Amino acid sequence: MSAVIVTARLSKWYGNVLGLSDVSLEIEPGITGLLGPNGAGKSTLLKLLTGQLRPSIGSVTIFGQRVKNNPALFFRVGFCPEHDSFYEEITGWEFLLGLLKLHGFSAAEARAKAEKTLHIVDLYQDKDRLIRAYSRGMRQRLKVAQAIAHDPEVIILDEPLSGMDPLGKRKLIRLIKDFKREGRTVIVSSHILPEIEALTTTIILIHQGKVFAQGDVQDIRELIESHPHLISIRCAEPRRLASLFMNDENVLKLMFGSDGRSLVVETRNRDKFFSLLLSLIVEHRIGVEEITSADDNLQAVFDYLVGK
Amino acid sequence: MSFWSALGRVFSFAFFLGRRSRRTKLFFVASFLPVVVAIIIRFHQAFGQGRGLREGLYLFSNIIMIFYLQFIILILALFYGTSVCAEEVEGKTLPYLVTRPLPKSAVVLGKYAAYMVIPIAMVGLGLLASFLVLNFDRLGELRRLAVLGRYFGVLTLGLLAYGAFFTFFGSFLRKSIFAGLLFSFGWENVIQYFPGSTQRFAIVHYLKSFLPLPSSGRFSFLTFRLEPTKPGLALLILFLITAGFLGLACLLFSQKEYNLED
Repeated sequence: MSAVIVTARLSKWYGNVLGLSDVSLEIEPGITGLLGPNGAGKSTLLKLLTGQLRPSIGSVTIFGQRVKNNPALFFRVGFCPEHDSFYEEITGWEFLLGLLKLHGFSAAEARAKAEKTLHIVDLYQDKDRLIRAYSRGMRQRLKVAQAIAHDPEVIILDEPLSGMDPLGKRKLIRLIKDFKREGRTVIVSSHILPEIEALTTTIILIHQGKVFAQGDVQDIRELIESHPHLISIRCAEPRRLASLFMNDENVLKLMFGSDGRSLVVETRNRDKFFSLLLSLIVEHRIGVEEITSADDNLQAVFDYLVGK
Repeated sequence: MSFWSALGRVFSFAFFLGRRSRRTKLFFVASFLPVVVAIIIRFHQAFGQGRGLREGLYLFSNIIMIFYLQFIILILALFYGTSVCAEEVEGKTLPYLVTRPLPKSAVVLGKYAAYMVIPIAMVGLGLLASFLVLNFDRLGELRRLAVLGRYFGVLTLGLLAYGAFFTFFGSFLRKSIFAGLLFSFGWENVIQYFPGSTQRFAIVHYLKSFLPLPSSGRFSFLTFRLEPTKPGLALLILFLITAGFLGLACLLFSQKEYNLED
């Protein structure tokens, strides 16, 4: 399969601040997840791909055409921005219809496409409400709607799942997977690994402006799994619970919280630890109030992987 | 899509957005303030002690017109002109426009056209209403209607020229409103009264060149000018100012990378 999006030695500086460094990618049809902590350079890369920024060094092409100052390319590309920003004093319908007309569609075509897209993102019922009255999830769906309404072959979505409720996320994930089946090229950015995992197996890990790893999500998952996890358990009997973990090979370290009601466990295998924890809770009837994974965020994993 | 088609589509969308904005509702009311002034004058003339006041056309030319020329069109052009680019950056809605198949110059020019039609309509309606209030007893005189037409033309030229200048301002300055206020009520209001060639560095100088010679009377200082430019030349210069600043705004908007972060 030939690459639709190609970047060659792409770099971007904001003055003296590095935004992106030496990124060479070939993105093929299907879903590609762009994963990285906040400030990693994901949005910079997506803005370079959509011509909103000019590369300091390197080049970007989509369908073999340069991106910057090539507006005709946007007949084939749709972009969903990260910011939760709209023309607040119009309705969702007016917003979508207006943007579709900017694509050159006639009024009738634009109406048909807007109607179809609002049905797809489940906003048709609320189409006549002012955007400023929309919930966060509805606004996210409207942003996605404007990116897909003109049937683009390439869809670039910057943090599309952010702020959505679980049901909304599930629907959007299903929709994005449909795009893949239709042979489109989709890039989705997120800082949350499970969101990306739910969408695709092809991911690009980006950190501090550099592509840190690229490939199958399973390989990345294995890297991440080798990173010790901290899990905090809040319960009435932390000492008793700690004694039950003492001889388990998956437990590296046990610490007690200063409040005397919590136990922090360091483990190398999170999945095995959680099955052990559940069986111990049931078997020994231990009342657990809360379980949190203290470093279950990408930044901690990246810090670990880059050896901080 | 051709450039003109793109421009037309941006115009329609921006005109629709502009019409629906709260700012338009507010300015629409504000642009009718001279009408209120005209009504007060008329009442004063009819029922109060103002029977000695000058006749309607004189008052229209020397109070209402100057209010529009030296205050209202500056404010309208400032707020609408700077908004052409700046509101997309400040509102972070820029990606919706720049990821459409539209030349960036069509975005600037289409928005500019839409954002000028709105204040021109406001000023036109206000001016007409003020004229009718002050001259309703002599509307049959063609000369009076010609004056109205000429003044509306001058205000339209003013809105277009100032609008282009402030569109340019808004395409690169973050605090464009503040800088625009300084320009409008500092530079423009001072430079126009300088003798010699200096007054020609103010846009208002060229607008006033279309107005009749200063009248005598207590408001004559408002239209004071030393050396009016010939109307043909004034028109050419206003056209060059408008085209030049719009060209610069298009160039900047196409080249500049706007930072949408907080």
